[in-house]
Amino acid sequence: MRKFKSFDEFNELKDRLIADQAPYIPTIIIPAGTCGQASGANDLIRITKREILARELTDHIRVRITGCHGFCEMEPSILVEPYRTFYPNVVTDDMVRIVKAVAKGEVLKDLLFKNPETGEPIEKQDDIPFYKKQVRTLLSKNEKVDPIRIFNYIVIGGYTGMVNVLEKGDPKKVVEEVKASRLRGRGGAGFPTGLKWELLANARNGKDKFIVCNADEGDPGAYMDRSLLEGNPHSIIEGMTIGAYGTGAKEGYIYVRNEYPLAIKHLVIALRQAREIGFLGKNILGTDFSFDINLVRGAGAFVCGEETALMRSIEGKMGEPRQRPPFPVEKGIYGSPTIINNVETWTNIPMIIVDGAEKFVKVGQKNNTGTKIFSLVGKIKNTGLVEVPMGITIKEIVYDIGGGPVNNSKFKAVQTGGPSGGCIPAEMFDLQIDYDSLKEIGSIMGSGGMIVMDEHTCMIDIAKYFMTFLKDESCGKCFTCRKGTQRMYEILDDISKGQGTIEKLDLLEELAHVVQDSTMCGLGQSTSNPVLSTLKYFRDEYEKHIKQKQCDAFACKELIGTPCASACPLGTKAWRYIAHIERGEYEDAYCVIREANPFPSVCARVCNHPCEDRCRAGTSGGQSVAIRALKRFITDRIDPEIYKPERIDKAGKNSSKIAIIGSGPAGLTAAHYLSLKSYNITVFEAGQSPGGMLLYAIPEYRLPHNVIQKEIKSLLDENITLKFNTALGKEISIDGLFDDGYSAVFLAIGAHKSRRLNIEGEDVAGVYPSIQFLKSFNTEGESLARGDVGVIGGGNSAIDAARMAIRQDGVKSVTIFYRRSRQEMPALEEEIEAAVTEGIEIRILLTPIKIASKENHVIGIECIRNKLGEIDSSGRRKPVQMPGTEHYISLDTLIVAISEGSDTDCISMASSSRIETTGRDTVKVDPHTLCTNREGVFAGGDVVSGPNTVIDAIADGKKAATIIDRYIKGEDLVQPVLPRIPEVYIEASKAAKEQVEMGDRAKIPRLLAEQRKHNFSEVEVSMSEVEATQEARRCLRCDLEFTLPKGNEAKKIAIGENVV
Amino acid sequence: MITLNINGANVSVEKGTTILEALRFIGFPIPTLCFVEGLTPYGACRLCVVEIGEGSSSKLVSSCTYPVEEGLKVRTASKRVIKTRKMIIELLLASCPQSKTIQDLASQYGVHQQRFKQEYEDCILCGLCVRMCEEQMMAKAIGFYGRGENRKIGTPFGIPSEVCRLCGGCMYICPACQLRCTFNQPEKAICGACANLSPPCLDKEQFDDMMCYMDPCVACEIKKD
Repeated sequence: MRKFKSFDEFNELKDRLIADQAPYIPTIIIPAGTCGQASGANDLIRITKREILARELTDHIRVRITGCHGFCEMEPSILVEPYRTFYPNVVTDDMVRIVKAVAKGEVLKDLLFKNPETGEPIEKQDDIPFYKKQVRTLLSKNEKVDPIRIFNYIVIGGYTGMVNVLEKGDPKKVVEEVKASRLRGRGGAGFPTGLKWELLANARNGKDKFIVCNADEGDPGAYMDRSLLEGNPHSIIEGMTIGAYGTGAKEGYIYVRNEYPLAIKHLVIALRQAREIGFLGKNILGTDFSFDINLVRGAGAFVCGEETALMRSIEGKMGEPRQRPPFPVEKGIYGSPTIINNVETWTNIPMIIVDGAEKFVKVGQKNNTGTKIFSLVGKIKNTGLVEVPMGITIKEIVYDIGGGPVNNSKFKAVQTGGPSGGCIPAEMFDLQIDYDSLKEIGSIMGSGGMIVMDEHTCMIDIAKYFMTFLKDESCGKCFTCRKGTQRMYEILDDISKGQGTIEKLDLLEELAHVVQDSTMCGLGQSTSNPVLSTLKYFRDEYEKHIKQKQCDAFACKELIGTPCASACPLGTKAWRYIAHIERGEYEDAYCVIREANPFPSVCARVCNHPCEDRCRAGTSGGQSVAIRALKRFITDRIDPEIYKPERIDKAGKNSSKIAIIGSGPAGLTAAHYLSLKSYNITVFEAGQSPGGMLLYAIPEYRLPHNVIQKEIKSLLDENITLKFNTALGKEISIDGLFDDGYSAVFLAIGAHKSRRLNIEGEDVAGVYPSIQFLKSFNTEGESLARGDVGVIGGGNSAIDAARMAIRQDGVKSVTIFYRRSRQEMPALEEEIEAAVTEGIEIRILLTPIKIASKENHVIGIECIRNKLGEIDSSGRRKPVQMPGTEHYISLDTLIVAISEGSDTDCISMASSSRIETTGRDTVKVDPHTLCTNREGVFAGGDVVSGPNTVIDAIADGKKAATIIDRYIKGEDLVQPVLPRIPEVYIEASKAAKEQVEMGDRAKIPRLLAEQRKHNFSEVEVSMSEVEATQEARRCLRCDLEFTLPKGNEAKKIAIGENVV
Repeated sequence: MITLNINGANVSVEKGTTILEALRFIGFPIPTLCFVEGLTPYGACRLCVVEIGEGSSSKLVSSCTYPVEEGLKVRTASKRVIKTRKMIIELLLASCPQSKTIQDLASQYGVHQQRFKQEYEDCILCGLCVRMCEEQMMAKAIGFYGRGENRKIGTPFGIPSEVCRLCGGCMYICPACQLRCTFNQPEKAICGACANLSPPCLDKEQFDDMMCYMDPCVACEIKKD
């Protein structure tokens, strides 16, 4: 390369390079930063080159290998200029097709990015939602530049800023321009860059001055500096040269961590090129300005990102911060005045000089100008680097650019600023991000890491993770930082293991404040942030861990044990019965199920299986084990008689009388467990047969009535008396029960009252509340539906009603109307699918506004279309009605299934029962003890929770039995909760141990739609033995972590001895 | 001369002095563990923290390393300072309960319990021995290695130092007493000089027989629990 000795030579070359450009020749751009290479960009490069050579396309296609473009989720990707066609996740086989298509000027529609909402392919990169809202002033250059070719950078206007500055010859102007841009340091603290430069320019202590580029990016989850170093190293060199000219520095340092090999490689090449061409070194471009840059590789200590530690590290000493003052600008490297700026800050400089400060301040806020790159990572759809103007809200970043949460989960918080930063809870996502607002709420901008967390992230776990990082990465000089982080970790670790106390929590907070206050450097002062900010916004989560030993995110292993057992409201040890099934021990499996659940056959059919939702085989990226189907397999083939519950013998003492009102799952469960303790129980039922909501609300094709009856029969014994046709408020009253000598009353009357739509014309014939519709058929066999049936609602009850309707005679069609989108339907996914297979139509984003009737009978509804609007507090998009889209749909029957409440008239304060109720037509109870406002009266099931699942009702009944027993014995009602840790070791069978590959989740056998559509035979059928064994083998056996014998016991097992 | 305000009184001191020097010169008692006259201030133990500045911009700094500034407002016994110092002592006590220096400090500041898990460490990493060795003995035989919780003091590569003159200066200056007393394991000893001296502090196993100057003795109380 020829060395430039004057400005003219540079301008001449630049003009020539620009003239040589041939923008009409298509260019294949392959991003190959570290991230791209890791996901296979190198293969794409090889194939592209080979194809171009083989097809002799060298004059027709150009290839540019660049740094990272930012959309990491889609790596390796291809961008084709000039039309900017974007191909995401390109596999090697497709690369050949892309090269052919580019040669012909075609676009491959099938490989394009698909709009996640509509499924439409999007051709241009700039139209993709991820890119659309960004302002990519810095990152867009990564696409245009091959980082190892300096001419590439010159063509897009690179080094022009430096040449302009040198030509003008006024260093003061440079500092003035940067000051006017109000650029703030991108390293995290946000100190005004111009001011810093001015201080250095004015510093005189007789020594040479230094400028430093801080590229020691060590925050977990942050990599924006890396992408700039790898993708556009010349912009940093240019920025630093301009800075050196403005401040009078003679030498510069780039301090980059050794963990960035590609960045170092590109920097070394760029520095060599810049020296060869004469942009660095003595007498740059023939002027008397001399400046050179040294590359210093850091050994990977996080603390070396702190400026005083970084300077010591450059000097060759141990990376340890020191007291400021004196500030680096007074006394820096080797005692010389020094300034340190972050990579991103330096990259902004050429742009400010070329375009002018005036243009720069137009982006962003008043005191927070320009753009900021964030690395958006964590539980979000589109991970990657995003460059946004300062002052954008978190909501815009995570929803519009980030694409929202993964798997329909709910956002919980965003963590900014790396380990020293803080958490921002989802309620504050309207916050505009800039240096000041973040500081105000207890976080920091940091270098720009943004970790998104959803409901599956435990805040204690997060705080603990960062504290592990910090206790290792603290330099250890200040006693409070070194010991403080260790002690904070210790307390957090105790809490996550269920050994925390409230006193320790207070100690943690006290210690965190002291550490924040008393350490020397920025790292030490911010080590408390993860603790303090999570405590500030998620204190209840800490308390839940301490008091209830519960981790709602299922992250703290020692509290959760196995996720399946922890997720089950009854604590059913699914892992245990699955292990028995795998070994072929079906009777043992049945006993495990029955021990926890008095309604195993019912739950095997209709449970909403929270265990499967939390199953690690599913949450770790695969498919969860079909636990409910396995339960069905067992309950279908084992005689319930083999299980003999433990009874406390009647010693004459426990003859207290207990009244249970309602014979649904909650009531009967309570009756069963109280009977085992030899109480005298009377169950009062308003109807004519026991079963409650099981009988009324669940259609027979899901739960045959004989299954319910069989199960109930097995629970009844001589301690339990059933009284039918006895309703509270009519035949009995609470006062009357106490007068009759009952010691306690358990209210479990369910939720039988459907909520109303509250629209015009609701009271005409042919409009039925879903409960009434289901009940009429289930108890009296009366078919209410006919003709074209409409169902309003999106919950399980709506699906039940719709599937029931399609089975009734005289029904032509069934349509479900739901106001939100399909993904937001609360009904179980498998139920929705089954409904669709049976020919039920689901129409989304529709709200009924009026019911039309003729001769007092419904003839149709008027609907209005909705669109999805802003995100509401539940994290879902609000349905917004679109005026002008009203339309009429004719119907013969309309079923309203929007929600249910209890008939609280007979229990409310106004009645003789005098029980306090809530505004939602439910009974108010203490959630820990199920106590109502009346002494001796307890309540559980749907009457407390509103319409809920069977398993929750059973759990309430079981809890009520324990509580009532304690109440009668005069014991403390609240008992300490213990984590459900597995304690029994069940060895996996030999076959299971040998099987390495995990198959797909078993398909649950169902009758074909044609066979089942018009009758009430049960849809789901039992698995075969082979299927069940295979499915049980898919279990990851989370229990073994706790139960696998260690030491001598393990040896015994290894040699085949039995361990008792 | 530079004028600063200490606890409400204006004081003039020479330029270049640290806050700690100024405070001690005037007679304010400031506890320190890692500061000894004649060695470079290091700022590791944080016991000498004072509050400087006013209102929302006030902060705590280690007085041993902070140079005096014109008009600086210093408070040596504000609530914030005392609270912090007590917590530091509690942390020290939780780690090195057998050091008499630390026991005395605890007694002086009324710290009668520590709420963390009790540890029995030998070293608080104040770095006095390192500075003694380097600055007064001109030996540079020992130094820090590792970081965070793995930070330790030792010779390069853990082999007995050739430049060590067995002067014992490191032991003399140690506030935690036990630091260098590894004479009974010569292969682990840094210099072995302690073999010639009577140990300045007793082995922690014989903790109960230890002569104690405190009443009540915090360490004994902890041990009893």
